[in-house]
Parts: sequence; structure tokens; C-alpha cells
Amino acid sequence: MSTKKFSLALLIILTLSMLSATMVAGQDTLELQMTWWGSQNRHDRTIAVIEAYEAENPGIDIVYEFSNFTDYWPLLQTKAAAGQLPCIMQHDYAFLAEWANRGLLLPLNPYFEDGTIDVSNVAQSIIDSGSIDGQAYGLSLGTNSPALILDVDQFEAAGLELPPTDWTFADFEQIANQLHEELGIWAISYGMFDPQFWRGIYISRGEWIFNEEGTGLGYEDDQPFIDYLNMLIRLQESGAIATAEEAVEASANGHENSPIVTGGEAMRYQWSNQVVSIFAAAGEGRNFRLWPLPRPEGGASANYLKPSMFFSIPSQCQNPDEAAAFINYFTNDLEANEILFAERGVPISTEVQEHLRPMLDTVGTETFDFIATVAEDASPVPPPEPQGWSDLSANIFGPEVIEPIQYGLITPEEGMVILREGAADILSQNE
Amino acid sequence: MSKPAAAIPAPGSVTQEPVQPRARQKTKNKNFKQNNLAGYLFISPWLIGFLLFGLIPLIMSFALAFTDYDILSGGDFIGLDNFHRMFFEDARYGRSVLATFRYVFASVPLRLIFALAIAMLLNTKRRGIYWYRAAYYVPSVIGGSVAVAVMWRQIFGRDGVVNAVANLLGLESVNWFGNPDTAIWTLILLAVWQFGSPMLIFLAGLRQIPQEMYESASIDGANGWEKFMRITLPLLTPIIFFNLILQTISGFKVFTSAFIVTGGAPLDTTLFYSLYLYNRGFANFQMGYAAAMAWVMLVIIAILTAISFKLSSYWVFYETEVK
Repeated sequence: MSTKKFSLALLIILTLSMLSATMVAGQDTLELQMTWWGSQNRHDRTIAVIEAYEAENPGIDIVYEFSNFTDYWPLLQTKAAAGQLPCIMQHDYAFLAEWANRGLLLPLNPYFEDGTIDVSNVAQSIIDSGSIDGQAYGLSLGTNSPALILDVDQFEAAGLELPPTDWTFADFEQIANQLHEELGIWAISYGMFDPQFWRGIYISRGEWIFNEEGTGLGYEDDQPFIDYLNMLIRLQESGAIATAEEAVEASANGHENSPIVTGGEAMRYQWSNQVVSIFAAAGEGRNFRLWPLPRPEGGASANYLKPSMFFSIPSQCQNPDEAAAFINYFTNDLEANEILFAERGVPISTEVQEHLRPMLDTVGTETFDFIATVAEDASPVPPPEPQGWSDLSANIFGPEVIEPIQYGLITPEEGMVILREGAADILSQNE
Repeated sequence: MSKPAAAIPAPGSVTQEPVQPRARQKTKNKNFKQNNLAGYLFISPWLIGFLLFGLIPLIMSFALAFTDYDILSGGDFIGLDNFHRMFFEDARYGRSVLATFRYVFASVPLRLIFALAIAMLLNTKRRGIYWYRAAYYVPSVIGGSVAVAVMWRQIFGRDGVVNAVANLLGLESVNWFGNPDTAIWTLILLAVWQFGSPMLIFLAGLRQIPQEMYESASIDGANGWEKFMRITLPLLTPIIFFNLILQTISGFKVFTSAFIVTGGAPLDTTLFYSLYLYNRGFANFQMGYAAAMAWVMLVIIAILTAISFKLSSYWVFYETEVK
């Protein structure tokens, strides 16, 4: 064969093989796409559940994609723009309103009503927590609440008893200073400047940081938050919490090397479903308890039962009924939940909770007990963050307010003015 | 006596074709067109790629800069709002411009100085000189990578190598990343460490300087420093200028090191322009705003380059201009 004919033949063969590869999509199985974010622990468990579901339902093939939290949202935004959203999408409280308002998510109420997704064992407040204007756009995957992890051994070494569960900021300041004086370590290194404390202060007062329409801040009195920040500044000066520069170092090396694991602090702020990795890194023989957040004097609980994350069905999905069936399996199947093992938070179905309780290890029992404690006097779940929250938090709350306060460049009073102006600026676009 | 320069055409001057008789004009045109066609066919892959992935996105980006596009919903035309916000309302924008300028004006001169100094040292024919040249070039090949950035974060961490050495010497550990004054210098150091590529270009330039000049200078009694200032530097000015432009442009585009090593912290002292653009575009989904930022960066770099070119006529010496 001459060279010319040979290359022509090769070209034809290559083209045909590429064409045939694209045609092998397989029309006898139904394909569902799924995305989620998390740690490797979560990825392994979720994939095991997917495979169990596929084994029980041979006509369904679930194609999944996962990542960490930071990369997840750019990925899904791009998919949304390309019209390629998955059928089952893990969603977050912070973004649910934005996506729902743009019509990107399907309401799940029809599936609740006709029983495709069985919510008979799920409290109404949990369904409401994923609802906007009465339409449920996501089903919670687990209940969560912000916690302080207390290292009981450190408390004992400092001669302290564990505080009452309704402890106040005054109690906290006293305990923090005593821990630092007796043990020479941080009481808590970083985390007290997290926006969750801002939320918690106003929830304790029966208010919410945003107004109902989501067009601005929802409270008039800045003083409670100013008092809180001044307390943190005092604790920075006494050495009980890390200075801004120290905090950068302390947080640099991931959960496994966090100060509570290495003995550099006696308390740590963490959401209750993220404590698994801390407990695991600390290993056996450590005595950690989960405690509700401190509250302002005379206030209600700063804790509430938050949905850790949701599953939503994007409106671009071609097979929403099958997607709903999988979500039902994920929520209610007992064996699937044995695999998942409350890694995303305490399961929403009371039946699943009771099934798992006897099997729980230390951290699982502690988490379940913590949620039960919180449930006793929890404040009602606040509405999802309004559109613009991510902008406010990333560009105003952090760099313009909290960081300058941490470095001592502005006072908390000045910070509040900036916060209020920034919030008005960004949120007024929600008119 | 005719100067040697007149006999040889200066580089770049066009040689005239001898005049052809008219009758052969048509065939010549046809051959010309066929040659052109072949040329276009050969570059068509690149041309298509450039049009589809370069030019069209460029035009779209310019259009987007005047909208409030945020991926989830189509953008509405908002005129110059993005630019107004950028220049008058966004405090972080000002800080990011400041941080980027500080970075460029510190790292580029340092990099070029090191590149030239090491190039002069390596401009010998000793045994094993190739290994040294390769060794100094390797950082600039791998330095922009994520792996090196992650490693850099460890080196300057609280228990990293730098602090360990400082402790050995009896100095206290420094909190490199937490202190707003020192964080940017870790990134500047990372940039200066990658002086390999300008160094190679300087080496090539140094090779072009004829040895006779140095010899005649020695005969006239010049010492090393004078030789450097009077021969090496002036003859190298075109190369210095070339490197300066290139390094400045790439300096403004710095992203990976800031993204991985410091994330823009602390207090936005390392919030470089590209990083802030990325955050606004991909973390906050304000694509219209990010596109506007990108075009402003283009204008800034263009202005700086134009200024550099204007000023270059005062200090850059091109041999070919010698009459």
C-alpha cells in the first residue's frame, strides 16, 4: 500500500472508532447524574450507598462527581450555565435561596405528598428548613448544630467543672481566662470570630441578622455584637485566644493538626457533623464533649437544628421521578444509613436514628446526644441566607470588618458601621 | 574609504527583487497565491484555535464587562457601573492594585539583578558548567506549579525550614504568613527564586559581546567594574529591556503563588489582582465585574509597556542603529 493510501485508511479507522465510542451511550439503563462535596470519608460512604442502590435497581446507573466544598460551587455554576446540572445535587443553606429564586430547582412537595419520598418520620420543622415560601427545594440530609468541642481532661487539669449547657459569654470569658492561666495554652485558638457567633447573638435575642425581605440587616442594636467583639479583644490581650497572626498559623495545617488535637487549646468551634475528623485525629483515650454555644446574658439558646446540607433536584433534570426515588432510599433505607453512619449529620428520620443508636461509637453517640440536648431548648431555625450572603461574607464581613478588628486597626464600633453599610449596599439589590 | 557597515545590509532591511518582464507576471501571481494557500492551511489549526478560544472569548469578555452577568442568570447591560464600583466603591480593589504593584516593583528588579549576576558567573567554559546552568534554570520551570507553592507554605510555616534555621542561628521564629508586613515577601522571594529564564536570555546576550572589546579595554587599563559598567551593561541594554517588559507583564499576572500560599491574606496584603479577579468571578460569581477588572488590567499593562518603550530610547542602545 502506498503511504498515501495507508494514511487515508488510518484516518478513516480513527474517525470511525471515535464516532462509535460516542454512540456507546447505552440506552437500556437509565442514567442519573449526581454531585456532592465532602471529605474522602464522605465520598467512600456515598459511593458505597450508590453501588448498593444500583445493585437493587439494575436499570439505574448513577454517574457521580464529587469535590471539596470550595471547588464545588464554581463547578456547579458552570454546569448550570451549560445546562448540564445533575439530577441529584447536594446543596447548601447558603445558596439554596439563590438557586431556588432563579428557578433552577424543582419543588419536592409533590414527591412528599404522593409518598415517593417518605417523610412520615421526619419532623415538619426539618422540611420547613429547606422550604422557601412553602415550597421545599431541598431535603435535609442530616441535622447539625454549631458546637464547642471541650477537652474534658484539660478542664479537669485546670480545676474547672464543665459549664452548664446554658452558659453565658460571661461564663465563657471567665473559663477561658482560667484555662489559659492554669494551663498556659490557648483556651480556644481561633473560630470565635466565625459569622456563626454573629448569627447566634441575634438568634438568642429572638431576632435574625437579616430582615424578612433579605434586603438589609434585621436588627437595630449593634451593641450586643460590639460587646462580644470587645470580649474577644480582651481575651486576645490576655492570651486566652490566639492573635490574628497566631490564628493564621494555627489553622494552616488541617483538622488533623489542629490545636485541640495537639493539646494547644482546650476548646474548639466546629459544626457537629464535622467533629468526626477531629475525634478521629485525636485518637482513643481523649475525652471530648460537644457543648452548645454560649449565649448573651438572659438570652435564648444560640443553637438551632440546622439542616447540614440538602439534596435538591435541579429543574434541568430529565428524570426527576427516579431522582426522587434515590433520595427516598438515601433518607429512609436502614442499611444505606448504616453505611452513611450519620456522617452528614444526625439522620432526619426518627426511625433511622433509633436504628443507628445502638451501633454508634463514641463520636456518634456524642453527636446524637448533643443534638438531643440542643433540641431541648433550640431556637427556631432561621430562614436561609438571602441572595448576596456569599458576597457579604467574603468581601465585607471577613476582610473589611473582622480582620481589621482582629489586627487592631479599627474598633468594633467602626466595624459595625462598615458592616451595616456593606450589607445595605449588597442586599439592597434584592429589592 | 567605505565603512564595512555599508556593504552588508542592516538586519531587517528588505532586499529588492530584480524587475521581472511583464509576461511572467501572471504565473508569478499564481505561484504566489498557491504558496500563500499552503501557508494558511498549515497554520489553520492554530488560526481556528485562536479564533474560537482566543478572539471570540476576548470579544465576549469585553461585552460582559458592561453587564452584571453571574453565570446563573443572563447579564443585563449596566453600562459603566462595574468600573464605577471598582474605582470608587470597592476598597479591596484598591488594596489588590497596591499589593500587585508592590509585588511587581520589588520582584522584577530583584529577579533581573540576580539573573544578570548569575549569568555573568556562569558565562565561562569550565567543566560541568552545563549542570550549573540547568540547576539554576530548573526553579523557573517548576516554580510556578502548585506543588512548589504548597512546599513554600511548609517552608515558611511555623515549624518550617526557615524558622528552624533561624532558631539554630539564635533568632526567634517569625510568623511569615500571619504578619501583614512579611507575607508578601515570601511571595516575592518565590518569584525571585525563579530567575532561571531571564538568566538564560542574559547568558545568550553576554555571549554576543565580542571578547575583543574586553581585551582592548584591559589594554587601556580598565578594571572589572569599569568593564562591566562601560561595556557589558550598555551592550546588554536591549536584552535588559526585553527581559524587563516580559517579566513585568508576567509579574502582573501572578496568581498561583498567592492562591496557594497565602490566599490573599493577611489583611489583603497579598491579594494580587488576578487572585481578586478570580475570587470575584468564581467564588462570588460576579463575572461581569471580573471581566471589567480583566480589561482594566489590560489597560494598565498596556500603559506601563508604552511608557517603558517611550523611556527606552533614552537608555537602550541598539548596535544596528550605529551609523
